[in-house]
Amino acid sequence: MTRILRSLRDGIGFDVMLVIIALSYLLVFAGLPLIYNVIISFQTVDVFSLGTLWHPNAGFDNYRAIFDDPLAGRVLWQTIVFTLGSVALQFTLGFALALFFHQNFTGATWIRGLFLAAWVMPGLVVGVLWNWLLSGDFGVINHLLESFGLIEDPVFWRSNVETSLYAVLIANIWYGTPFNMILLAVGLAAIPGDLYEAAELDGANAFQRFWTITLPMMRATIGAVLALGIIFTLQQFDLFAAITQGGPAGSSTVAQYWSWQLSFREFDFGRGAVISVLMIIVVLFVSLIYVRSTKAETQL
Amino acid sequence: MSGAVTNRVLLAVALALAAVYLFPLYWMYVTSLKTQSSIFAVPPEFLPGAPQWDNYATIWEVANIPRYIGNSLVIASGVTLITALIGSGCAYVLARYRNGWIDAALFAVLMLQVLPPSLMVTPIFVGFASVGLLEYPRFATILAFSAKTMPFFVILCRAAFMTVPRELEEAALVDGNSRVGAFFMIVLPLARNGLLISALLVFMNGFGEYVYSASIIADNRLQPASIGMTNFLQPNVVNWNAIMAFAATYVTPILAAFVLLQRQIVNGLTAGALK
Repeated sequence: MTRILRSLRDGIGFDVMLVIIALSYLLVFAGLPLIYNVIISFQTVDVFSLGTLWHPNAGFDNYRAIFDDPLAGRVLWQTIVFTLGSVALQFTLGFALALFFHQNFTGATWIRGLFLAAWVMPGLVVGVLWNWLLSGDFGVINHLLESFGLIEDPVFWRSNVETSLYAVLIANIWYGTPFNMILLAVGLAAIPGDLYEAAELDGANAFQRFWTITLPMMRATIGAVLALGIIFTLQQFDLFAAITQGGPAGSSTVAQYWSWQLSFREFDFGRGAVISVLMIIVVLFVSLIYVRSTKAETQL
Repeated sequence: MSGAVTNRVLLAVALALAAVYLFPLYWMYVTSLKTQSSIFAVPPEFLPGAPQWDNYATIWEVANIPRYIGNSLVIASGVTLITALIGSGCAYVLARYRNGWIDAALFAVLMLQVLPPSLMVTPIFVGFASVGLLEYPRFATILAFSAKTMPFFVILCRAAFMTVPRELEEAALVDGNSRVGAFFMIVLPLARNGLLISALLVFMNGFGEYVYSASIIADNRLQPASIGMTNFLQPNVVNWNAIMAFAATYVTPILAAFVLLQRQIVNGLTAGALK
């Protein structure tokens, strides 16, 4: 007994204890829910059976109901459009900004940091803010687009089935670009400067230097940033809640929002769990790629 | 072009980019100071007329802001406390060693970091309902959300602990300190700044939390400001000056903390995300 106590205070037991406490917490509040999620996706869980640990067995009924739902195909497509659109534009804009601020000029670092102000804001506030910016009749975005002659009539971004998904997409691009920028800026800063000097001596122009030095040297960073972009976009929920609530008529519903709606608006937790299980598999697959790419980087 | 001119042109472009990017924040503050009639002016007024500071006083009372912000503070404090207490030690061990077990633990933490809250809330809610935790909705929200912030905190703090030289800890052990003593007297103080910034980021996250609160906390009196905003938004969807005053009241403390600690926050974030 005293040996264990001594080890806890002054030996390897101290380390083991510290890790075990944290991992047990994560096991109870993240690991068990992951398993429980799979179980309830095969059960009928509604308001009547809610308070019990075990619910009536449903077999594959929940899965069948989801796959037969006419909304399923559209939600899948909208999830793909939203995710790829967000990642592509956040990455492109973030990379352009990172390259711009990589030039040496007074105040570059400080001004670049200002962009992250958006990133520390609560997602729900960002959503409410864009809800107002994109308002149909009195929204300032419509006014600016009209005065530049880009549109003739106001676009009802949030209430039109053609544009509602893009309303959330625009807000999400604004929200996520700074994080892409800052991660890519870290990657740029790690490229040794003498590589560029040598290329310049050899007569390579800026475009050639970008293709032959910047891009290849940034490969690991770019992989990590793209994977993180997909992961964060699949976590996005608050913007949907604040801007369109998935509507009108499901035209801006993505998988992670649909899952929540089924559970907490229709109180069909079994079907909510089905989408949750399927989406978590996707997220874990992407993060496996991310973890592998960052691991390769740190071992260099 | 000479160096000085290039410098000035680049600076001007940078300021213009930042101004365009931060325009939504400007618009939030300007709208919050307008009268009810001038928010619907066509064309919109880009400069505020006489600022309506009363908007803030009114919204403070009408929308129950003190109560909502108070609940947000309770949730943010609880989440930060649990995350920092349990997470710091784990981050320290993960930074101190490098072997197969540590790699496996680190892998588990990284994988748990990516789980979307809107997907995890279904099994967590059903589980909490069956063990009776929903009776204490704010506490339940804190427990659930801490599992989300902890991996993030561990990764950030691990980077902070890696900057502490191993020799200093070993010297303390040679001087007769126990492991516990060396941890509290040497390692923690040296990694303090990184820990505080990570804790601040967790606090900010908790302060803006929405998904778990929206799903778990049904009682209006216990809901945080994020739910308060949506509660206020629905019936008042034309009072954009009031809504923006609510939003500004909610985010100004966060933005102020960010402006003050910008460099440390940016460093902390980038250290954790790619290493």
